Amino acid sequence: MTQNSKARLLLSDLQQDQKATVKTCVANGVLKQKLLNMGIIPGAEILMIRNAPLRDPIEIGIQNYFLTIRRSEAKLIRVEAL
Amino acid sequence: MINVALAGQPNSGKSTIFNMLSGVNQHVANYPGVTVDKKSACIKHHGESYQIVDLPGTYSFSMFSLEERVAKSFLLDEETDVIVNVVDASNLRRNLYLTFQLLELGKPVVLVLNMMDVAKRREIAIDCDMLAQMLNVQIVESIGSQQQGKAEILAAIERASQQSMTKPFMINYNELETYIAQLEKQITLESTIARRWLAIKALEGDDLILKKVGLTTESIRDLTATVHTRHDLDVDQSFACQRYASADLVYHKCVEEKQLGKVNLTAKIDRLILNRWLAFPILGLVIYLIYQLSIIGGYKLTNYTWPLFASLKNIVIDMVPEAQFIDLPPITDFAIWMVNSAIALLNYLPIFFILFALIAILEDVGYMPRMAFILDRVFRRYGLHGQSTLPLVLGGAFVGGCAVPGIMATKGIADERARLATILTVPYMNCLAKVPFYTLLLGAFFPNQMGQMMFYISTVTLFIALIVARFLTSTILANRETAPFIMELPPYHLPTIKGVLLRAFQRVYLYIKKVVTVVMAVAVVLFVLLQYPGVPGDKMAGFRDEANNALADFDRQAKKTGVYTLVDEQTEVFALINLYDGYKAKRMLAGSKKAVVALDQLFLAANPQLFPLVRPENSSRADAKKINKAVRKLSKVNKRLQMAIKSEKIANSFLGLFGRALEPITRFSGFDWRINVAFLSSFAARESAVATLGSIYETGQAGQRAEESIAQDGVYTPLHAVAMLLFMILSPPCIATMVVVKLQSNSYKWMLFATFFPITLGIIISSLFFTLASSLGWSGIQMMQYFYICVAALALALAFIKIKPSAWQVGE
Repeated sequence: MTQNSKARLLLSDLQQDQKATVKTCVANGVLKQKLLNMGIIPGAEILMIRNAPLRDPIEIGIQNYFLTIRRSEAKLIRVEAL
Repeated sequence: MINVALAGQPNSGKSTIFNMLSGVNQHVANYPGVTVDKKSACIKHHGESYQIVDLPGTYSFSMFSLEERVAKSFLLDEETDVIVNVVDASNLRRNLYLTFQLLELGKPVVLVLNMMDVAKRREIAIDCDMLAQMLNVQIVESIGSQQQGKAEILAAIERASQQSMTKPFMINYNELETYIAQLEKQITLESTIARRWLAIKALEGDDLILKKVGLTTESIRDLTATVHTRHDLDVDQSFACQRYASADLVYHKCVEEKQLGKVNLTAKIDRLILNRWLAFPILGLVIYLIYQLSIIGGYKLTNYTWPLFASLKNIVIDMVPEAQFIDLPPITDFAIWMVNSAIALLNYLPIFFILFALIAILEDVGYMPRMAFILDRVFRRYGLHGQSTLPLVLGGAFVGGCAVPGIMATKGIADERARLATILTVPYMNCLAKVPFYTLLLGAFFPNQMGQMMFYISTVTLFIALIVARFLTSTILANRETAPFIMELPPYHLPTIKGVLLRAFQRVYLYIKKVVTVVMAVAVVLFVLLQYPGVPGDKMAGFRDEANNALADFDRQAKKTGVYTLVDEQTEVFALINLYDGYKAKRMLAGSKKAVVALDQLFLAANPQLFPLVRPENSSRADAKKINKAVRKLSKVNKRLQMAIKSEKIANSFLGLFGRALEPITRFSGFDWRINVAFLSSFAARESAVATLGSIYETGQAGQRAEESIAQDGVYTPLHAVAMLLFMILSPPCIATMVVVKLQSNSYKWMLFATFFPITLGIIISSLFFTLASSLGWSGIQMMQYFYICVAALALALAFIKIKPSAWQVGE
């Protein structure tokens, strides 16, 4: 993986069982607040658990619990692979 | 009175703690202006009364969801003396996020470490003394599901209510502190809530708080912009990060986890339940089981509850004045009507009870959000939500459900637009009470293609519901608030029997209280509309002649017997007929031989002279047998005449006139006034469509069923039948459903819309297809097939047209 593509990695790009940390989140307003409240803060560790049977939404592990999020929102979260 | 607010994150077991504290003595209402449940209970402890309110479960106090706003305004507006914060001991770190915000309110807090059993099993050790010291609160350990900790929680509440807050808990928000202090000075509001909390929420841009303290959104925006340029900090993010960092700090000092990193049971179960290949079969199985247990099983249960209701009906009939042959006293007529209407609704109670209990189990186990996870992608395309699955299934997947529990189950849908759309589309699903109507028409016109037609009817409804949902969400609901699909998949839990039963009873009670009362009121109106002005004089005279002839006939027969003195007066004859009919009704309900003997004895004791004529088997006299035969005949004539009068009454009633007045509009779909009246009366409860159609068509000929008389009538063709079916498929919700729509959408506007939109749609579709079919010479089956193909094609096509993204979906 080149340095460039690594920097552009999004939460929606993660493969099953891949681990990453949250870098930034480009959401606004209530969506941003919701993501923050659910523990998606810079530095938080994320484990991509699985896709839904129809590929969307996805299930991730964060802050010691399981969270589902649609791909459209996962695209707003930039991550760094571990 | 001490006011206690129970707060906690979702899935922290808050409800079990509330149930444990309050017992069955709960009061369920809505928070003002919204459809969020407000549960409260008043309990006594050591001579002091405590009013406990169960706040909705929230992750935080932001502006994200209705629940968060409701909880916040409750804490702002009501005087709360003590806050009880329920946290999941096995997930303390994340639960502290809300705890910190509760502590900042500056009120006495009792921290309940719930689910200690789960924590112990996972070998999570919590140093409670350290935690109490760090947070400056009282800590109680409990296991809500095992009723452990009630006395300790009550004692802690009592202590907390006497304590004064000397040193409120504080998180150090570093750079933001200056700005918090600055806002604190600006806030002059006198409140029992700490100014610091108000200042923090104001800085977070919370519109509810800003309004309360009299600050403008613009001033806060300027302030956050200043923070951004001066410190390169995002205010919201800094708050969240600080809270998580503090939670981390507390967690590391107080908690020791031995099995860190081990895969827990929930993850293992999810590997199966959410497996790519198994998820759908399992979901199908769950839905099938719910349907079998509630709708099919509940329907079987009604076989046992029905005799109860029928005997109730007999009791009522015994109390009102008796019929004088064909003259039914209006009060008696009215009483029978009301009892029938009530029974039609109460009959569903077993089904509802099972359904509500099953839903409660699914909610407690944690399957609901997983269902949404699996199906979200399909429903999203139609503007619905993954969580719309269950309401739609309850509303009537397969061959019939009920919109009432379906709409009640929309409560948990987080997305407001999808929730409203689901409420408005559930009534399109096949209602259980429509099934007799379908079978009546199919039996009359399509006896050989019944299976095929039934398949079309039961599957087309889902397509219609999806199309309507898509239409509503992209037009009149387009500007409604939506919420991003960000949902926790909670750990699996075993539900408690008490919790499940309590919820099922509460919901059934709500149904009885809200729905049955309204339907009864409407039944009264409908009765008047169907009864008045009554049968015209000349027609009535004709019926009277027939009745008199029959009576004279009976008199002649009776004269020939030796027991004539028993029935030589008209009142005696009437009494005999009533006795005969009354005995027959009760005899039907007597199951065993023993019960029949007991019934006979009861009747004989009450009517020693006349009863032997009703039941001559018990007496050896030939005379009695002869009279009995005559009575049977007379009773039959009586039934026929009463039916004819009823049918004439309906034809001449206000509703009948209204049905006729509608003919110019309904003409295009082939409906005459009789069908209109049947549809109009089906509002009260759908069953009455069949009953009304039946009584209009009742020819009085013995042994002929309504299907046959309708088919032989010759007025209607199979095309009429399909037009009727199409209208019924689309037709408006019954009154019970309308009441629930009002309850769940909290608006009369939506209730009216939910009524008139389907009627309009039904008229348009049935007129269109009826006209097309008549002019193009389609058969009834073809008409149905073309309709089906059109609807299915439209539904599939819509799935491929993208929905406009919502405002919150737009990032940078």
